[in-house]
Amino acid sequence: MSFWEYVAGRRAQLLADGWQHASAVFQCMVVATAVGVVIGVLTYRSEWAGNLAVTTTATLLTIPSLALLGLLIPLTGLGVAPTVTALVLYGLLPIVRNAVVGLRGVDPSLVDAAKGIGMSRAAQLVRVELPLAWPPILTGIRVATQMLMGIAAVAAYASGPGLGNEIFRGVSSLGSANALNQVLAGTLGIIVLALLFDAAYMLIGRLTIPRGIRG
Amino acid sequence: MSGVRPEAADPDALPGRDGAPGPPPRAAARPARRVTWRKLLLRPCFLLVLLLATWLWFRGAGLDSVARNSIADGNVWLRLRQHVVLTVVSTFFVLIIAIPLGILLTRRRLRPAAPAVVAVANVGQATPAIGLLALLVIWMGIGMQAALVGIVVYAVLPVLANTVAGLRAIDPTLVEAARGIGMSAAGVLRRVELPLAVPLILAGVRTALVLNVGTATLAYFGGGGGLGDLIASGITNQRMPVLVLGSVLTVALALLVDWLASLAELLLRPRGLEAS
Repeated sequence: MSFWEYVAGRRAQLLADGWQHASAVFQCMVVATAVGVVIGVLTYRSEWAGNLAVTTTATLLTIPSLALLGLLIPLTGLGVAPTVTALVLYGLLPIVRNAVVGLRGVDPSLVDAAKGIGMSRAAQLVRVELPLAWPPILTGIRVATQMLMGIAAVAAYASGPGLGNEIFRGVSSLGSANALNQVLAGTLGIIVLALLFDAAYMLIGRLTIPRGIRG
Repeated sequence: MSGVRPEAADPDALPGRDGAPGPPPRAAARPARRVTWRKLLLRPCFLLVLLLATWLWFRGAGLDSVARNSIADGNVWLRLRQHVVLTVVSTFFVLIIAIPLGILLTRRRLRPAAPAVVAVANVGQATPAIGLLALLVIWMGIGMQAALVGIVVYAVLPVLANTVAGLRAIDPTLVEAARGIGMSAAGVLRRVELPLAVPLILAGVRTALVLNVGTATLAYFGGGGGLGDLIASGITNQRMPVLVLGSVLTVALALLVDWLASLAELLLRPRGLEAS
């Protein structure tokens, strides 16, 4: 059976897996972005807390995803729970780092000017600092999404949802006629999803990065 | 909080102030370092405690025959050794492929090819490691070889992109000045560009090592061994002690490797670049 025949024959299954993969990554990214930006906002002003946030996230990033899943499974059991926890945790890391670095990189004279025209602390943050720090934060979101695509694939081994199941089905039936088709369909599907997400982020960047600071 | 902050906020200013063994007396005279001895010692101490706690817990955990089977005949040591071998060998190949290639791509004649390579690197990053490994196993057969090739391919692209970016970021006036005093192109590369790019190349080594420890956990799925064996058999057999042991060992190895790489970064960084 050729690859295209395989894809045509399993269209429904592949689309369902692909949809689950994309939606798991998307939902976890929404949570991770919200939490990550809040952590960044809370910590960037204190040198100690900001550095702690950055070092902690950098250290967590060195932990292999399969090992983190292995540590989560005794706590949460198999399935969706460890997958979502791991995805949100890994998704946080680049966002926190870039939020802290981005917010610290805002020219202090601009914040001073905002204070000078009578903006409250919250207004300074929402109307001056966050828009200026948004490009690095968006980069963090892009990096995190690409990473989560691959981690979600591994999480299928812990009974997580998504295209990783297709890959592991192929791995567990190595040598059978469909092994290559299954692995190829899962892998290509994830690459396509990752590139689609990336294109979406580029569009979001176009629409949301203030015109004055576009590079 | 305020009592803690000033001390914790600026540990770089007084290296070795806590009396940690090791800092040479000269250290205080040098400009502040990015990594202090106290920070350096924190990681190995944490790892020791982690491993000790896991070992004590594991001794106390009741193992049935299935769990005992997964760790019988020195399986834990075997998997750990395999994991280290996979990591070290793959990192070696990543470096001898990615760094010379990065240097080539920044030479004038090949410079137009660099954007294409970076584009390929971006698509490569979108490829899931487990899919890449599985495809290689189907192509090359089960075993360590396919796993090694997969780990290398997966890490070459980021290290290459890093090297190219770093060599490009070197101040062009420095290169011009070197040319101006009559250095040959090879001389400029060897005596100006490479020394300036050392921090970046070391960062590449660290990236490769950390990535490879992680990808090596997936080698198991292609019959390549490694600590992934303990984790996977813990998951499939639902034996938590085996699962946790494998995971903790993997985490400890990843953190240790990252720590060793940061140590190398600290020791090999050219003194003249320390201020930046």
